[in-house]
Amino acid sequence: MSSNRSFDVTGASYFDGDVPLPRNVRTLALTDDGATLEIETDQGTVSWPAGSVRRVSDMAKQGAAILRSTTDPLARLCTPNPFVAAALPRANRAAPPKGRMRLAGWALAAVGAVAVQIGILIPLLADNLAEYVPPAGEQALGDATFEQIREVLSETGTNPIPLCENEKGRAALDQAVAKLTDDRGFRQDIKVYVLDHSMINAFALPGGYVVLFRGLIDAATGPDEVVAVLGHEIGHVISRDPTRHALRSAGSIGVLGLLFGDFAGGAAVLFLTERLISAQYSQEAESGADAFALELLAEAGINPGALGDLFETMRRKHGERDGVAAHFLSHPALGERIDAARAAEKDGANYTQSLDDAAWEALRNICE
Amino acid sequence: MGVEFVGKRGALFWLALKTGFFTILTLGIYRFWMKTRLRRWYWSAIRPGGHPMEYVGDPFEKLLGFFIAVVILTFYIGIVNLLLMFVSFSVFNSSWVGYLASIAGVIPIWFYARYRARRYVLGRTRWRGVRFALEPGAWGYAGRAMLYWFLTIISLGVLWPRMTFLLEKYRTDRTYFGSAKLLQGGRWQMLYRAAIPFVLALVATSGVAAWLLLIDPVWPDTLSDVDRAIRSVYLLLFQDGEMLSMNWPERLFLIPLCMSALVYGAIHYRWATKRIMANHKSADGVRFASKIKPPRVTMIYVLGISLSYSVLVFGLALLILLVIGALGFDAVLGDDIAVMADMPQWLSFVLLGALYLGVFLLWGVLHNTFVTFPLMRHMALTTTLPTASGLARISQRTRDEFAEAEGFAEALDLGAAI
Repeated sequence: MSSNRSFDVTGASYFDGDVPLPRNVRTLALTDDGATLEIETDQGTVSWPAGSVRRVSDMAKQGAAILRSTTDPLARLCTPNPFVAAALPRANRAAPPKGRMRLAGWALAAVGAVAVQIGILIPLLADNLAEYVPPAGEQALGDATFEQIREVLSETGTNPIPLCENEKGRAALDQAVAKLTDDRGFRQDIKVYVLDHSMINAFALPGGYVVLFRGLIDAATGPDEVVAVLGHEIGHVISRDPTRHALRSAGSIGVLGLLFGDFAGGAAVLFLTERLISAQYSQEAESGADAFALELLAEAGINPGALGDLFETMRRKHGERDGVAAHFLSHPALGERIDAARAAEKDGANYTQSLDDAAWEALRNICE
Repeated sequence: MGVEFVGKRGALFWLALKTGFFTILTLGIYRFWMKTRLRRWYWSAIRPGGHPMEYVGDPFEKLLGFFIAVVILTFYIGIVNLLLMFVSFSVFNSSWVGYLASIAGVIPIWFYARYRARRYVLGRTRWRGVRFALEPGAWGYAGRAMLYWFLTIISLGVLWPRMTFLLEKYRTDRTYFGSAKLLQGGRWQMLYRAAIPFVLALVATSGVAAWLLLIDPVWPDTLSDVDRAIRSVYLLLFQDGEMLSMNWPERLFLIPLCMSALVYGAIHYRWATKRIMANHKSADGVRFASKIKPPRVTMIYVLGISLSYSVLVFGLALLILLVIGALGFDAVLGDDIAVMADMPQWLSFVLLGALYLGVFLLWGVLHNTFVTFPLMRHMALTTTLPTASGLARISQRTRDEFAEAEGFAEALDLGAAI
């Protein structure tokens, strides 16, 4: 016994893990081979293998230690003497992990559930339900979204971004829309607006909204290119892509909110992520809208190749990255889409320009 | 038996800063470790009878619980939201019905999750080696909470103390320390006393409002015309001198005074009810006594929150300036802020993202240091156990194994409190 290393026990107490009363510690010693910590209390002696003793971490009181043994998850030895823990070989090691396979299983299930949800279930449900939203509902959805977008885009943050309503320009735009839509009996009236913003882009919203940015009109080399984009967006409207998209967002926003939890104001992260996800329609929807536009152009006697020309202009101007990228360019199949548009152009067909020069000039000045 | 509190604010500050930083580095995954470590620290600082409380929650368990909750909730929330939006647009032609229904649908889960979270925390709390526990009963809690809230609302708040009392009784009566069961004694009517400051503030506010608007109006001729009243306030703020006639405008200072009184009344109610109910809690041979001082708690809130919010506001202002610089509105602001405009776009986004997270990190750290810490300390130091002889008859209870830990609370954003 004499070679045992014993510690000062002033203020030490032992809890047996059953009764919430402290046991007075009489002696505290490490056996001479250093293998066992012996705790002699009023009610008998407890032996802990020295290698099994851990210190409970993140204690508020410096120096004092609470020790536990992995052989007994409940018993505790509290001592203000810092030399006890210092003499134990594994006091600062983490307690052995447990149930890690189960954790991995649930982690996979969680990732899978979210993936199935966002990738399959919500799109499937949204696609099917979109067919049943009545026109008035689509209208309400479109009205609300359009106002929101105008407010988000406004630089001052107070007034929504202005619509371009120059009288002559408006007449030219209506003339162009009429060429595409007249007598076709679409299931919805098409409402075309121009926003006074330099972004080279266009989008469709539920309820028959087709919205062009001034930047797109500025970038186009002729009226046919603008009309081709109109045709493309009308294609989205006709196939209810925007409505599907709105329903999808409603579902996936909640799911993503769960994932980010309360970490750093989850809402902001959520908003960004939702933006990323929703930047594009599916590839099928895009090529469907392309095909629709090409057919519409051909029927109206306008050169369908104009759609390809516009894509080409964009690519030349902006490379594969900027501006319109979100909507057109970043699509992997852009080359194919240009080819498809060029192929729709028939040799020897007699195409007329969609707007005469005066009307095109008026359209270009619609935001004046 | 008294309760000591031994933690130092500086140590907590570094722990919160360190773990918060790891949380940002791991895109939020470390938050389960952060919470565990902070709780371990707080618990160990609280020492009834000189022996520390111990928190034995496991971050892996929390992570697992979060995954479980995500798997279950993802289907509920995703599909239900989508269907609600569909119905909302198809039937009501508006998104508001859908939003409201979607929020209303989460309310019962919210109460459910709070009870489950409390059950987890108590189940992983020990003192002197003995476990606490909360019996299962989360749906019962959610149902009662909704019923009591309904009664509180239709009684215009008169039955609020009844709700406070009965919900606390539901939780307390299911709480155990080892083999000992806790009981919440007293009656709900005893809580009306805690509402006196709030009621006085409410009466005073109504009186002041009546005085300023009806009895002796500040703007004598604008009473009937809201537009003109608003315009006169605008003129007062931005074009002093051209203001239309005001009758004794110094009285307007009563408005912030009344607001402060209402806030104090609300804080007083919350903490005085805690004190009253703590004084009526007992187990066999154990009694509690609390001397929580609502004015002290109010001071902690006012100082701590204004400190942490001023850091947040300052940080956000800095962030906004940098955003403007990065997005190239440099023409407006001059060239000196436009340094970021020359960087590649992704780099400025990364920097802004880091700054954004950093601001929230600092806010959380300060909130821990200057609000949670002093509140915990005040609660610990004002609590005593005048009778503790029953401890000798208490023995250990079995572990409450439940898989999803505080997963639901975490997933539903309720985990902000310690």
